[in-house]
Amino acid sequence: MSDLHTVYLGRMPVLRAEGLHKRYGEGDSAVDAVRGVGLELAGGEFVAVVGPSGCGKSTLLHLCGGMDRPTAGSVAVDGVDLAGLDDEALTALRRERVGFVFQFFNLLPTLTLAENVALPLLLAGVPSPPALDRAREWAGRVGLGHRLAHYPARVSGGELQRAALARALVHEPALVIADEPTGNLDSENGQRVLELLRSLNRETGVAVLLATHDPVLAAAADRRIRMRDGGEVREPAAGRLPTVALET
Amino acid sequence: MALFRRFIVRGLARDPGRALVTVAGLTLGVAVVVAIRLANTASVRGFETALDVVAGKTSLEIVGAGVGVPERQLEEMGWLREYGRVSPLIDQTVSLADPDGVRHPLRVLGVDLLRDRPFREYQLLRFAREEREPRPQELLSVLLDPTSVVLTERFARRRGIDVETPVTLVAGDTRHRMVVQGLLLDEGPAQVVDGQLALLDIATAQWLFDRLGWVDRVEIQLFDAAAIDASEQAIAARLPPGLRVQRPAQRGREVEKMLAAFHFNLNALSYIALIVGLFLVYNTVAVAVIARRTEIGTLRALGATRRLVLGFFLGEAAVLAAVGAALGAPAGWLLARGAVRLTSSTVNTLYVTSQATVPALGAADVLLAGAVAIPLALLAAVIPAAEASRITPVDAVRAAAGAAGRRPFPWRPALLGAALFAAAGWLATLDAIGGLPVFGLCAALAVLFGAAACVPALLELLRRQGRSVLARWLRVEGLLAHANLSAAASRLAVSVAALVVSLAMLAAVAIMVGSFRDTVAYWVGRTLQADLFVTAAGRGPVGAGSLAGISEATERWLAAHPAVVAVDGFRTVDLPYGPDGDLILLGAGRFEVMAERGGLLFKDPADGRPALRAAVGADAVVVSESFALKHGAAAGDRIELDTPRGPRPFQVAAVYYDYSSDRGLVVMDGATFARHYRAQRPSGLTLYLDPDADPDAVREDLLAAGGTDQQLFINTNAALRAVVLRIFDATFAITYALEAIAIAVAIMGVAATLLTLALERRRELAMLRLVGAGRRQIRRMVVIEAALIGIVSQGAGLAVGVALSLILIYVINVQSFGWTIQFHLPLGFLAQSTLLIAVATALAGLYPARVAARMVAGADR
Repeated sequence: MSDLHTVYLGRMPVLRAEGLHKRYGEGDSAVDAVRGVGLELAGGEFVAVVGPSGCGKSTLLHLCGGMDRPTAGSVAVDGVDLAGLDDEALTALRRERVGFVFQFFNLLPTLTLAENVALPLLLAGVPSPPALDRAREWAGRVGLGHRLAHYPARVSGGELQRAALARALVHEPALVIADEPTGNLDSENGQRVLELLRSLNRETGVAVLLATHDPVLAAAADRRIRMRDGGEVREPAAGRLPTVALET
Repeated sequence: MALFRRFIVRGLARDPGRALVTVAGLTLGVAVVVAIRLANTASVRGFETALDVVAGKTSLEIVGAGVGVPERQLEEMGWLREYGRVSPLIDQTVSLADPDGVRHPLRVLGVDLLRDRPFREYQLLRFAREEREPRPQELLSVLLDPTSVVLTERFARRRGIDVETPVTLVAGDTRHRMVVQGLLLDEGPAQVVDGQLALLDIATAQWLFDRLGWVDRVEIQLFDAAAIDASEQAIAARLPPGLRVQRPAQRGREVEKMLAAFHFNLNALSYIALIVGLFLVYNTVAVAVIARRTEIGTLRALGATRRLVLGFFLGEAAVLAAVGAALGAPAGWLLARGAVRLTSSTVNTLYVTSQATVPALGAADVLLAGAVAIPLALLAAVIPAAEASRITPVDAVRAAAGAAGRRPFPWRPALLGAALFAAAGWLATLDAIGGLPVFGLCAALAVLFGAAACVPALLELLRRQGRSVLARWLRVEGLLAHANLSAAASRLAVSVAALVVSLAMLAAVAIMVGSFRDTVAYWVGRTLQADLFVTAAGRGPVGAGSLAGISEATERWLAAHPAVVAVDGFRTVDLPYGPDGDLILLGAGRFEVMAERGGLLFKDPADGRPALRAAVGADAVVVSESFALKHGAAAGDRIELDTPRGPRPFQVAAVYYDYSSDRGLVVMDGATFARHYRAQRPSGLTLYLDPDADPDAVREDLLAAGGTDQQLFINTNAALRAVVLRIFDATFAITYALEAIAIAVAIMGVAATLLTLALERRRELAMLRLVGAGRRQIRRMVVIEAALIGIVSQGAGLAVGVALSLILIYVINVQSFGWTIQFHLPLGFLAQSTLLIAVATALAGLYPARVAARMVAGADR
C-alpha cells in the first residue's frame, strides 16, 4: 500500500480527463453521450458523478476506467495517457491500476466468491494459492469470510456487491470505478456497501469515481460532478470542499 | 490453466445438456470415421494377412496371364533353381458339403508337399490316428492317394470331423468323395480364413479343378533373401513371354488398388457425421458466447486480454473434441464390427473373398481420432471464439443488443453461399486424380457449405413471410412459435444448417442410390434375356472366382432338354492390365448366341450386335463402360492384353453398359479365348428356352432329373433379377447406416438448441404463463417450433440434395466407378423421409417442451 500512499500524499492526479466526447452511431441517429467533460481525481479522493438516468454518467465512467475509448479528448490514469495504449496495454492497465464495481455485481457464476475476488490477480498471472490467500484476506475485510466457497447464485445481493468491492480492491489499484454500486440493493444493504466503500477508500487511499443518483451516496462524496444530457452542469460545490479544483 | 477450468469447464458443467449432446454428436462423428477406417483396413488386411500367412517364406512368385502357368513351360525353367527353392501351387476354393446339405467354403492349397515344406509352417497335429509328426515319406504316401485331404484342426473340431472321416468336396458342379488323412495344427496357414483351409496334393488339386497341365502360380524361396531386387530383375529377364515375376505382396496391393475407389467414397461418407458434429461444436460455442456476453465483458473489464478470451473458447471446442475423440475411438471400434459385416459382403461380392476381422484399437487410432477431431473443432469454433474476443468491457454492463426490430438481411453469408455454389460448379468439371474423385468431393463439400451459408437468408425470408400463415393455421401457439423462432433466428441458423446439410446428404444419397437402382434394374431387365441361369454349386462365396466350372457332360445334358433352344456359357478370369497392372476382368462368352439372343445394352455403337457377330472368333473384344472410361478405350481402338504368349493386340468392337463390376470387363468370344489362353469350362451357363416353355417348370424338371447328386444352382430370370437387386441393396446398406447416424447427430443438435432457447427464455415463458398461457399451450408451442425447424430443414435439404445428387451421379460415380446412372427421383422415399423428419424433430422438441413447461411452474427469478 505504500505506493498508493505516495500517490495520495504526492497529490499526483490518479485520473485526469480532458475534453471528453463520446458519440455513438453515425449520421442522423448519432447520439452524443458525453460532450466535453473534464475532471481530475487526486489519490484518495472520493468523487460522485450525479445526474438523471441517461445523462452520460456511465459512459463517462467507462471512458475514465479505460473500458471504452473517447471519440475526442484524453484520459490519463496514473499519469499514463490511455490514447497511446493498444488494446493489450489498455487491458493490462485496467488489470493493474483500476478496480471496477458494477450495478449488477457482474460476478462470474462459475467461480466461487473467493475465486471471483481473486480474479484480477489470476488474470495478472498470480498463481492460484497466493491469489486465493489474498482474496480470502479481502473477503474477510468486507465481511464475507464465511461465504468463500459459495457460488454467486447462492448468496444475497448485498453479499455479491461486497464481494465485488473486494474484487475491485484485491489487486491494490490506484482508482476504483463504481457505477451505481447500490443501484440494485435495498437501502439497508446499499448503506452497508457505501460505508464499506468509504472506509476502504480512507484505509487504502484508493481514489474512487462513482456514479449514482442516490442522494445519500452523493452526499457522502468528497466532491460531486453534476451531469445532464452528456454535459457537466456547473454549480457551486456543496458539502465538503473539493481537495482539487475542477478544471473545466 | 486454472482460470480456464473455472470459467470454461465449469461453464460446460453448468449447461450439461448442451455439452453432453455436443460430445455425443462428436463421439458419434469420430466413431463413424474410425469405424470406416478400421473396416476398410480390415477388409484389405484380412486379404493381406491371408496372403502373408499363405505366402509363408515365399519371396517371389511367378504368375501367368489370366489362366495360370502351364506346367510345360515350367519344365523349361529348371534355371529357376539357381535362385532358390521352387514350389508350384494350386490356390482355389471348394465347398465342403455337410451331410445335412450345408456348404462351407474352403480355401484349397494344392501343393507338392515335399517341395513345399520349407515354404510353409504346417504342423500336423493328428495324422492317420497317430499323435505324432509324420515322416515326409509317410505324408507323401498318404497324400499321393487322390482321395486324401488334410483339414485344419480348428475347422474339423467345429464340424465334428476326425481323421479318416469321409467328406464330400464340391468343385464346380462335381462332387468328390475324399477322406480326411490329417489335421493341421492351428498355426501358420491353418489360421487363415478362420481355419477354412484344405491341403491337397497338387496333382489331386489339378484334377479336381480341371487344371491338368496348369498351376496357378509358382513360388520361389530365394537362397539369398537379401538379394531380392537383383533376383527379381534377373528372373524377369529370363522369363518366357506371358509370365511375370512379382512379390506376393503385389497381390495385396492390387486388391488395395481395386478397393481404393470404394474405400475412398466410404471414407468421404464417413466424415459427414463428423462434419455435422462440428456444426454442433460451432453451435455450442456460439451459444456459450451469446449467453455469457456479460461475463466475457466483465472478464475484459477486469483485465482479460482478447487473446485470452479467444483462447478460452477455442479451448472449449478443443476440450469437447478431445472428449469426443477419446470416447469416439473405442465406440468406433465397436461400430467397425458392424461396418465390417455390412461392407465385407460388398467386398466379397464385388471384389475379393477375404476374412475381415477388425484390428485391435491402437494408440495410433486414438491419436488419429484426436488429430482429425480437434483441428476441425477448432476451425468450427474460430468464428464464435473470434466474436467472443471482440466483446468489449462495456458489454459487461450494456444490455444485450436489441434482438427485436428490423434486422438487416443477411447478405454476406448468402453471397458466400452463392460463391461456393459457383465454385462447386467449376470443381465438378475437373478430372479425377489417380482414379479418385477428389475434386468431385470438393464440389460436394462446396455445395454443402454453400447451402449452410444460405440458411440465415432462408430463415430471414421465412421469418418475413411466415407470420400470417402460422398465425392462421396454428393460432396463438403458431404465432408465438414464429415470434420465438424469429427472435432466435441467428442462433437457430447453425442448428438448421447442420440439419439441412445432413438431410441434403440423405436426399442426395437416396436419389443417387434410387437412380442407380433403377438403372441397374433396367439394365438387368435388358441384359438378362435368358430364361434360366445355371451356376456350379461348388464355387464357394459368390464371385470368389474359382476356376472349376461346369463340366461338358453337364452342359450336354442341359442342352439336351427339349425346351432348351440355345446355351451360352460365360466365365471370367482376373488379368492385370495397363502400365499400372490394374486387375481387370477378362471374360469369355459365346458371341453368336449373345448377338442373336442376348441383351447386352450397348453404349457405342448403339446397336452392337453386328459388331458382336463380326467379332466371333476374331481378335476383337467388347468392353464395359467402366473399362472404357478408366482406360480411355473407345469402339474401334486397339488395346493390348497379356496372353500366355505375351501381349497381343485386340480390336475394341463395342462398348456396353455394365454395373456388375467397376473393375472393367473385357469380353471376347469363347473361341478367341481358347486360342489365346486355354479352353476353360464356363462358370455359368445361360439357357434360352422355347417361347412356349414355362421356365419354372423346366427348372423343376432339370433339378428333378439331376437327382440329389445335383451340384448346380438353377435360377429363373425373375429369381436372378431379385438376387442382383438384393446384392445391390446389401451394398448400399452401409451408406444408409452412415446417413442415419449423421441425421441422428443433427437432430440431437436441434434438441440441444431448443433446450438452450427454452432455458434462456425462462423469464419470457414465465411472463406467458402469467398472462394466461396453459402448460399445454407452452408445450405445443415448443413442439411446433421443433417441427417447423424440421420441415424447413427438410425442404431446404431436398433442394440441396437434388443438386448434390447430380454431382454424385455425374461426377463422383463416373470418376470412381465409371458408371452411367440415369437420374431418377425416388419420390416415394423422399416423401416418406420428409414425414419422418418432421415427426422426428417434433419428438426431439418434446423434452425441451417439457423443460419449458416445468420451468414456468417454478417461475423463478
